[in-house]
Amino acid sequence: MRTKGPLSRYMRWLATISVLAILALGLVACGSDESTATDPAPTTSDSATTSDSATTSDSATTTSTAPTGNDASNGDLLQAPTEDSPEGQITIWDRSGDLYEVFDATIVRFNEKYPNIIVNHLAVDIDAKLQNTLITGTDVPDGVFLDDAKIGGFSDFLWDLSDVLAPYVDDIASQKVDVNTIDGGVFGVPFDLDPGLLYYNETALAEAGVDATLIETYDDLLDAARDYQATNPESGPIHLEQSPFLGQLQLEMFASQLGTSMADAAGELRLDSPEYEQILTFLDTVREEDLGTRAEYLSPTDIAELENGNQVFYPWAIWFSFAPQQLLTETTGDWRAMELPAWEAGGARSGAMGGSSFVLPREGENSELAWLFYEFLMFDEAGYSAVWGPNDVYPTGLNTSIPSYLPAADPTAPLFEPVEALGGQDLWAVATEAGAQIPGGTPLPSWWAGAVDYLGNNIQRMLDGDLNPSEVISRSTDEIQENLVDRQ
Amino acid sequence: MARPRAAPYVFVAPFVAIFLAFSVYPLVFTARLSLTNWRGVGDPMWVGWDNYAYLLTNDRFWSSLWNSAVLWVLIVPVQLVVGVIVAVLLNSAKLQLRGMYRVAFIVPFVMPLVAVAQIWVVLFDEGYGAVNSLLGSVGLPNVGWLTTGTWAKPTLALLFLWKTTGFIVIIMLSGLQSIDSVLYESASLDGASWSRQLRSITVPLIRRTIMFVVVLQTLAVFQMFAEPFVVTQGGPYSSTTTAGYFLYNHINRADLGTGAANSLLLVVLVMALSLMFVRMLRVEDGS
Repeated sequence: MRTKGPLSRYMRWLATISVLAILALGLVACGSDESTATDPAPTTSDSATTSDSATTSDSATTTSTAPTGNDASNGDLLQAPTEDSPEGQITIWDRSGDLYEVFDATIVRFNEKYPNIIVNHLAVDIDAKLQNTLITGTDVPDGVFLDDAKIGGFSDFLWDLSDVLAPYVDDIASQKVDVNTIDGGVFGVPFDLDPGLLYYNETALAEAGVDATLIETYDDLLDAARDYQATNPESGPIHLEQSPFLGQLQLEMFASQLGTSMADAAGELRLDSPEYEQILTFLDTVREEDLGTRAEYLSPTDIAELENGNQVFYPWAIWFSFAPQQLLTETTGDWRAMELPAWEAGGARSGAMGGSSFVLPREGENSELAWLFYEFLMFDEAGYSAVWGPNDVYPTGLNTSIPSYLPAADPTAPLFEPVEALGGQDLWAVATEAGAQIPGGTPLPSWWAGAVDYLGNNIQRMLDGDLNPSEVISRSTDEIQENLVDRQ
Repeated sequence: MARPRAAPYVFVAPFVAIFLAFSVYPLVFTARLSLTNWRGVGDPMWVGWDNYAYLLTNDRFWSSLWNSAVLWVLIVPVQLVVGVIVAVLLNSAKLQLRGMYRVAFIVPFVMPLVAVAQIWVVLFDEGYGAVNSLLGSVGLPNVGWLTTGTWAKPTLALLFLWKTTGFIVIIMLSGLQSIDSVLYESASLDGASWSRQLRSITVPLIRRTIMFVVVLQTLAVFQMFAEPFVVTQGGPYSSTTTAGYFLYNHINRADLGTGAANSLLLVVLVMALSLMFVRMLRVEDGS
């Protein structure tokens, strides 16, 4: 008698599982309450698949229901409290680290102004937790520190701050207002401005007879690099970033200098432009002429090449100042900062690279009180002086960014002190003057970080010599359009 | 006396409730999510099989599976061989300081991955890493261990091997200790060598343990996320973007529908691989 073998039993089992899986999918699909692309019907808050209905706040501000857009007319606008001495508890999320300590130390001063507001300040892995918290609507904080690049992706969950920011908005760096503005609403309280600067090793350059202060354009920078290399043949004077993410961030700094960005305000790609061609051609020239040191930002190779004088030009955000202060023990004191070169003579001498803001989730219980906290931190002299001025964490002040609030970023009224690791240079003056030149920007699309897989990687391929600038642009445009923009 | 008919159901009810809540419901929810383009906000829009079609025609999806498959080849066979041999050595009564060796093997497993990753980055740095220094001392050129598509996978596999092989050794040891020592004594009396005992007694009798390890590590390799996340960020050029890391990218970008479809495809794949290995075990057993 012929019996069924193990293989046929296995196949039968697998077939059964497959049929059950298909049936299950079919059943859940038939019974679903999903809408179609043309069905914008609001859902209820008890649905397992929605979470955007706003809660009824117990505050004295607004009670909004099921907001589905960012139109200022639909009740998404946060209003400031009207009481003389508002009271309540707020939960504020910040990233762990030094900046958390700095913000934490400001709470005492905030409470001098608002004694009845209790601040529950938490160090949280925001990248890991915020999305889930907002989707589920549980334990939603009242205020969150967030990268500017992520605001676009969360704006549906956030209060439109247009009304509360109205008294200040004209005095905030336009680039910061622009990156927080989505469909006419402003969704973040701008925190810092991170102007791009050109860091250079003055001692090494002086020994080679190169005067960096004469550099005004990127062509001048190439000439200075060639001159330096002529006396230091082993050197690669200009930093070329090897991390796809940071390389893309640096590219956007250069683009910001030219008043453009990867996507326009409507989220449409605009990589295919003369500006990007110009920037990529500059980077490709550095590679082609062997004028660069390719390394990941402050990796062991990067640090070693900075220390041994092979790498002497570092076009980067102000926060590179951390390196000479903490990591470059051999060359600390040799470094200086200046405005970035311009792309054309007379052009802007800086662009924005990175930056963060404070956002207020609509489902926070006391968002209006959190607004008072951020208003104090950013727009009250006692607040911003506590953040950027000398404090227990940074005895000479926080010198890795400058305020985006222009009255606080006065070049003649420094908040942080000159930096010894930069030879006692007045970095405040350099950075605030550079920051004032940053052209306006656009909100970063929610898919910005995802573009690293395409644009970030293609830049690296160009630096490998496998693609030319035009190919980077055309290939990245096609890939981003297909995999990110079209799938929004 | 009549037996209380409800009692069995009452006893299993807590398990069933927890199982339904934390296993079945999430699975059904994921299946449902995979047929929408939900991004965590607003109404989920029905897209049918679009997410599956997108993934199955996407080079990067297949590339992530390929990366995981290559890592599997680099990791699992090596881990099995090393695991069995080390476990046999550690199980030997003649070995001095057995306890110390056992602890030494498990230490990498309990070390925080982030710390290990940092060590790896420093050791394998292209310009100034210790490994390239050693190579340079014998006249060999620098290798881009973490910066070239060719070497990034083996370097990552080495980290995984170093970190988890101790755990595999412990599992193998537990399998070895279920073997009756009389078998070895008889084999010795019959003149069987150490290697013959390994091939004819040890390996056949811990086959189930070996298969358990294979299934366990297949799951681990295809779901591998933390290692590439902290060491290579999936690069260079996505060469270390594993299936698990690729899935994370969708979730992290709030593309929850595609992420759900991706996770279900992975479930099917890993389940099929696991069944295949279990099937191989049964064939070997003759059952």
